[in-house]
Amino acid sequence: MNRRLALWVPLFATLLVARAASAQTAGQAEVTIGYQGLPYKASGEANTGIQVSDGVLLHVGAGAEAGYDTNVFYSNVDPIASPLIRTSVFGDLSNATRTGAAGRISFDARAGVVYRRYQSDDPNVDNFKNAWMPTAGLALSAGGGQFGFGIADTFARIEDPPYNPGELAPILRYNNQASVEGRWAPGGGRITATLRYTNMVDIFQNSYSYASTDSNYLLLDASWKWLPKTAIFVNAQQGYIFYLNEAEAAAANKESSFPLLVTAGLRGLLTERTSATLALGYTNGFYSGISSTGGLWGSTFADLSFTLRPTVLSRIVAGYRHEFQNAVVSTFSYNENLYASYVQQLAGRLALDLSVRYSHRNYQGQFVDMAQQLIGREDNFVQLGGTLDYFVRNWIYFGVGYSLMSNGSNIPTVEYVKQQMFVRLGLTY
Amino acid sequence: MLNAKVLLTTTFVASTVFAQAPAPIAPPSANAPGAPADVSVKQRPTLTPEEMVNQSREYAKNMAEVLKRIQVLQDQAKREKDIIRLNCVTDKVVQVRVNMSIAEQSMASLQEAVTRADEGERTHEFTRLTIVNQKVQVLGAEAENCIGEDLSFVGATKVDIEIDPNIPQYDPTQPPAPGIDIERPGEASPLAG
Repeated sequence: MNRRLALWVPLFATLLVARAASAQTAGQAEVTIGYQGLPYKASGEANTGIQVSDGVLLHVGAGAEAGYDTNVFYSNVDPIASPLIRTSVFGDLSNATRTGAAGRISFDARAGVVYRRYQSDDPNVDNFKNAWMPTAGLALSAGGGQFGFGIADTFARIEDPPYNPGELAPILRYNNQASVEGRWAPGGGRITATLRYTNMVDIFQNSYSYASTDSNYLLLDASWKWLPKTAIFVNAQQGYIFYLNEAEAAAANKESSFPLLVTAGLRGLLTERTSATLALGYTNGFYSGISSTGGLWGSTFADLSFTLRPTVLSRIVAGYRHEFQNAVVSTFSYNENLYASYVQQLAGRLALDLSVRYSHRNYQGQFVDMAQQLIGREDNFVQLGGTLDYFVRNWIYFGVGYSLMSNGSNIPTVEYVKQQMFVRLGLTY
Repeated sequence: MLNAKVLLTTTFVASTVFAQAPAPIAPPSANAPGAPADVSVKQRPTLTPEEMVNQSREYAKNMAEVLKRIQVLQDQAKREKDIIRLNCVTDKVVQVRVNMSIAEQSMASLQEAVTRADEGERTHEFTRLTIVNQKVQVLGAEAENCIGEDLSFVGATKVDIEIDPNIPQYDPTQPPAPGIDIERPGEASPLAG
């Protein structure tokens, strides 16, 4: 359901590489909340990239972060801290020009790998010291007139320490998202229709293996522009989510579902400097078990997002989203999300990114932990991220970063505060 | 004695006065109202009939060369798909052909006049031929100076648009890019995970 806000800090470094591939083709201005991974290229820089051949540009980069993690295992009970280093390399091949225009047929292929190492001597950390997290992404798009076509695929392997230091294996996750879409814009392009199928295979290993899912979404979006960059739209999305490990899923009270989301609203510019997304609609999880979403508020989807660009080099985003989301700890959760982001570039050298998010999660349905079933569970999750990078040249940079994640809950054992501080250095061209 | 001096002086002065030529009559001014224009042909050709025929043949040959040259220019314009120049050259070709048609008629009439020993007709036709030849030469020069697209064609209409740099380049009206966020799962149970 939540398609645009990446939430989990350690995922960013890996996911950004893969997700950017599809984002570029769609031409969207992605808003990411939390700690930002190593930059893809210098801010405002258009003269980088190796010209492999006519119309093919290769971007490459490598970077390293050294820092300190105050809470490796996401627990407020005897938190274990550790220094850590994180390195990454990536390559990006596309037919986009240095100015960004790609023509009627565009492609973008990216691949990268992140290596993370905890430097602690604590024996609890030993099993989780090293993690390799490869990513890959491919996006193809054709058309641009009346008809358009696009396919995209992103893959990421994510590895992170568990909540319980006593566990022997990390949380290991393989995620692949593929999509195919057709676009139709008859006449002068005022009316646009998009039909998209998205498949996500999400495979957990170890303690969360019961939560492995196959998610399928069919989306139909129609919009009418009454101004060149402002449109009203209707959007219908039908999903089908089922669990891959049926026996384990049944034991954990997991149920397949057919989530439906129908919204209408406005997308685009309000003024030259202000844009908005206003969407309001009906949603229902249609879970196959005994519990599902319901009620007036529970069946309501609301997404309000405002973007302000005070100058060419700065952007402020603020938003609110109400939705339900498939949950690992229970059947689903009602989420109230508030978020804000501030991005500022200074003199083409400095890049500042600050963002914060608050999420209230009211878990519902069948819980994995029966103790939580009895008392219910409500989490208040806060995420804050900040990075400041200075580009010495358009291909070399250094900077600092900070990340805060905090989870408050009516269940004290799941509460935690986690902070990470980094200095970072990298090359990108 | 005195009378003799007076007679002598008078005779001398009178002879001097009468020796003067009469004052010339001023020619009528061309701007003078009512003055007739002089349209008479002052000179007649001094060519013999044979020379006229030979000269008219020379004219015909020159005109044919001019036509040939203009046709080359016409082919060039066609090859270059220079519609502006082609129109100009084609117009000259048409005019040259018309004048050459007139010249052919005059040639025939000239030869008939020579045969009849009709000096007036012969002179008239030769004069026509001379004028037509001059016109064809002028048309040939004009065809050479026909200007093509590169200089006279302003090209396709070009519209320069200045867009406020504050307006985002991407299309914000499009649905969000596909991508389902994945986040670290919450702690399901204190005993697991």
